[in-house]
Amino acid sequence: MTDANILLLAIAIPALTPFVVAALGNRPNLRDGASVLASFATFAAVLALLDAVIDGARPAVTLLEVMPGLVLRFEVEPLGMLFATVASGLWIATAIYSIGYMRGANEKNQTRFYICFAIAIAAALGIAFSGNLFTLFIFYEVLTVSTYPLVAHKETPEARKGARVYLAILMTTSILFLLVAVIWTWNIAGTMDFRAGGILEGKIDPAYVPFLLALFAFGISKAALMPFHRWLPAAMVAPTPVSALLHAVAVVKAGVFTMLKVGTYIFGVGFLGKTGAAEWLMWLAAASILIASIVALTKDDLKARLAYSTVSQLSYITLGVALASQMGVIGGSMHIVMHAMGKITLFMCAGAIYVAAHKTKISELDGLGRKMPITFICFAIASLSIIGLPPFGGAWSKWYLMLAAADAGQIVIIGVLMLSSLLNVAYLLPIPARAFFAPPRGQVAHSLGAAAAPVREGVEEAPLLCLIPICVTAIGCLVLFFAVGGLYEYLLSIQILPESMP
Amino acid sequence: MTGSDIPPADDPARLPWLSRQLLWVDDKRNVDRLVWALALVCGALALADFLYHKHSYFPVENIPGFYGFYGFLMCAALVIAAKGLRVFLKRGEDYYAPLTVESEEHPDADLGRESVDA
Amino acid sequence: MPELLTPATLYFAAALILPFLPKGTLRQTLVLLVPIAGVGVFWTLPEGTFSPYNLMGLHIGLMRIDDLSRIFGLIFSIAAFLTAIYAWHVRDTIQQVAGLLYAGSAIGAVFAADLVTLFVFWEGTAIASVFLIWARRTEGAYATGMRYLIIQVGSGVILLAGIVLYYRETGTVSFTQMDLGSYATWAIFLAFGIKCAFPLLHNWLQDAYPAATVTGTVMLSAFTTKLAVYALARGFPGTEILIYIGAVMTLFPIFYAVIENDLRRVLAYSLNNQLGFMVVGVGIGTPLALNGTAAHAFCHILYKALLFMSVGAVLFRTGTAKGSELGGLYKTMPWTMVFCVIGAASISAFPLFSGFISKSLILSASANEGHFIVWLILLFASAGVFHHSGIKIPYFAFFAHDSGKRPKEAPRHMLLAMGLTAALCIGIGVYPAPLYALLPYDVVYEPYTTSHVVTQLQLLFFSALAFAVLMKTGVYPPELRSTNLDFDWSYRRVLPSVVGGVRHAVTGTWRFAARVALHRVDRMLVGIYRAHGPQGLLARTWPTGSMVLWIAVLLGMTLVLTYV
Repeated sequence: MTDANILLLAIAIPALTPFVVAALGNRPNLRDGASVLASFATFAAVLALLDAVIDGARPAVTLLEVMPGLVLRFEVEPLGMLFATVASGLWIATAIYSIGYMRGANEKNQTRFYICFAIAIAAALGIAFSGNLFTLFIFYEVLTVSTYPLVAHKETPEARKGARVYLAILMTTSILFLLVAVIWTWNIAGTMDFRAGGILEGKIDPAYVPFLLALFAFGISKAALMPFHRWLPAAMVAPTPVSALLHAVAVVKAGVFTMLKVGTYIFGVGFLGKTGAAEWLMWLAAASILIASIVALTKDDLKARLAYSTVSQLSYITLGVALASQMGVIGGSMHIVMHAMGKITLFMCAGAIYVAAHKTKISELDGLGRKMPITFICFAIASLSIIGLPPFGGAWSKWYLMLAAADAGQIVIIGVLMLSSLLNVAYLLPIPARAFFAPPRGQVAHSLGAAAAPVREGVEEAPLLCLIPICVTAIGCLVLFFAVGGLYEYLLSIQILPESMP
Repeated sequence: MTGSDIPPADDPARLPWLSRQLLWVDDKRNVDRLVWALALVCGALALADFLYHKHSYFPVENIPGFYGFYGFLMCAALVIAAKGLRVFLKRGEDYYAPLTVESEEHPDADLGRESVDA
Repeated sequence: MPELLTPATLYFAAALILPFLPKGTLRQTLVLLVPIAGVGVFWTLPEGTFSPYNLMGLHIGLMRIDDLSRIFGLIFSIAAFLTAIYAWHVRDTIQQVAGLLYAGSAIGAVFAADLVTLFVFWEGTAIASVFLIWARRTEGAYATGMRYLIIQVGSGVILLAGIVLYYRETGTVSFTQMDLGSYATWAIFLAFGIKCAFPLLHNWLQDAYPAATVTGTVMLSAFTTKLAVYALARGFPGTEILIYIGAVMTLFPIFYAVIENDLRRVLAYSLNNQLGFMVVGVGIGTPLALNGTAAHAFCHILYKALLFMSVGAVLFRTGTAKGSELGGLYKTMPWTMVFCVIGAASISAFPLFSGFISKSLILSASANEGHFIVWLILLFASAGVFHHSGIKIPYFAFFAHDSGKRPKEAPRHMLLAMGLTAALCIGIGVYPAPLYALLPYDVVYEPYTTSHVVTQLQLLFFSALAFAVLMKTGVYPPELRSTNLDFDWSYRRVLPSVVGGVRHAVTGTWRFAARVALHRVDRMLVGIYRAHGPQGLLARTWPTGSMVLWIAVLLGMTLVLTYV
């Protein structure tokens, strides 16, 4: 099979899965099995493709030409390959987790859930492999629309309200800003292809670059850059697997991935650095990092806190683009991986807590660690990775972002990253710490000691199908710290400079 | 003291051997004697300065008994200054929060259990 | 197969295995054996750097062996061994695992040949140690642990930032001597300083040590701060500013120690004071001074552990370590008392005890270099430490007024741990030659000269006399249940109220702005309806271009609406 066929296969499998799932709709075991099987198959195809890409291949497929110049085209390059690997790999974990969660929480309409889920993955892969801005935009919108039913899944008034906000912000920004930016780019560059080193240099008046960048940055509101971040907390009404894969990995990472891709292949890192057009974006991202962290501190709802944490962490990646250097791109793309692994673990833990203990508020979690030790240990591990502490993966992406900031001579940005780590400690670690070590609330002061004695209570964890993916991704956080060498080598193959003319 | 007003736990016969050797410190007069003995030793040490050649780094060290007087004066000053500081620094144990390490008791689980499989 | 030759690997492997062993003797034995095996890893190796890697262009060296790292590695291993005996009764898996990870990280950091490895283990000590505080499982310990963790992680991220800048400046991450002068080295210096409890950065120490569990505090006292001393000795020897920082460090804690009630916090203050001596030694930077720092760190870990063990045993038996609640315990805990007195004599640097043969090095070094004021301060601090650690701790715990408490003697394993530590304290004091042989530089030094012995005895006995006189005359401040304000007041009281105020202002402004904005948008929509409604001006036929424009405006409006 040629690489191009594998590429099509990787998108086709999740795109066709909905039909299978729908056909098996009234036989839950087979249906869920099909969805897991599809996730494995997709991942296998993506891995095969990854192999080829590491060997230097850049497979490409042109599907159809809508209009002269408007081509639906896939082309694989290292950055997109990375995103595809992360999204499809973590789909396996989520597919397994979903079974445990959806059954444990007695959710309705599970068939619709699995259908939309598979479409969303297909769209994410489409974004990852898109060969030009047009294709990317199409799949970007497909992703938005296909996740709407997932957000509104519970069909309660709150769920509908959240989904409305979700759709409204994502749609309006993408049409209002992103589409305009795409057309503008097409207009002046005469092409929409992604090219190493960018397509805009020499074709646009440098004075306009910040504005075009602004249209892109706000248009790609899936990257949840403040002030267009509200859709993300609003989307937390969705069932937890959705929050885990889509709002920690696929959707939000599609946003920051697009940001990276536009920064590297449309503007060109060198061009951005030369014109200084991204400086405002750097400060906005820095502000976004800090403000979102501070807001996260004030949230008592576990998923809302994680959502704001995501807003803050996504801005790390935007910051990487805005720093406009190779280290920035490496740090940013590395953070896609590291954050995905950590945040999906955190969300899955939140779901496990909901399934096993029916708790959603952080203030209700005191002492729960003794009942759910594995969940909370994994939560702690993932938290440490998000904070950026060794020996967990998050430490490395922070290292490269700091290097990028040092290269750009931005001491203040280094300070922001440091402060952000501390804020992360303040809003993430109290959760496992209180779960394990805080005495149950409402105890009288003098009897504290006795009450806090480690009493053997029955361990009541979430279903095994929930627990296994959590453990796997938590261990993944640890493995990524040691396996970073290979990832770094791979990221070096992202072409920053334009190909030399023959 | 007579045997009758001593609680059983304080019966010298029931105390460890080492403790029994030290019971004399409970007597005020013995403590006074101890202080006088200490003063005597101090005097002797001060006088000892005349008996040997002091290897000194700074001239001030050559004052006989310098170390002794310096130690005494500075310690007295230390305690008085610290006592003065208390006026400004002392607060209640629950000053920072109702439940702090200072104000709450040490948890039982951490205490006295020599071989409990908790 | 990657080479992971460092003692830390052993500790981490043991920490991984431990939860799967049955609770009881097997686990304790494992914890006990690891430090011995750990010493075996590095003791026989020659000097040099082992386990080198080229990780993404960074030259990583997991294990560098030279005299300085070897002596710190040895004393950390001894400390880990002794605390393992002391904690023989502990059945709490979390404490056991955290203890192993903590000791392993500290030892790993000492052997780190490059700054990245140092950073990894540096954060390791921060994360692992906080569990020893949280393991107390009370509301107060939780809050203290959180503060401790944020400060420790803060030290780590400052170190990381410093390393990043240093790497960009010099192109290397190897951990060697640095000069203060750039952002990079200042950041690294500050990171070391936080962990070393420099003045104004010190409060985490006094906050955390009284909060940890009985056995946890003993562990905490051994590693974190001495790791920082090691890092300073490695990175900044001879940096003059350290002399003055160290001098201030020896000075101010003794005032607090006099009026502090919690005996474990008294010990934390005196620990801070002792660190000051080591920092002065690093600052002077002569071979004699650096030897003094290494030797003092070695002895200090032992006698400070001994003191924390004895006070810990009292806490273990009585449930309190407060001077105001204790007294007269010699009657039932005589052996604990004896060991406490040995620790007290060692920290006070009585001749024939370990403190004497190490502190003299630093005092002599400072005098050799002609730092008269610093020397006077150190002398004062020596007298002061005798006052509050040497006399106050044993006196208020075991003598003073009888509290009526008649607890049992400390358990056997605790006595054994204290006995071994006490034997080491005396052994080193009586026969210092083996310790001197381990020191990083070849310097001939004779502590037991007539001058030294007599002057030191004068200093100590007159200080004791001052204590006796002040006690007799009733001038000595009584032990009172209280909290004493220290610099942590700034972040435990001032900062929260400032943050609260700002938060109030921000939320108020935000709400007001949102209301105004909503009102405006409402009016705008009405206006638009007038223009676009059935009778509106814009309802007539218009060119397509302006249609697109108005659609865009409408969409924007919707967006604003949803957003607000």
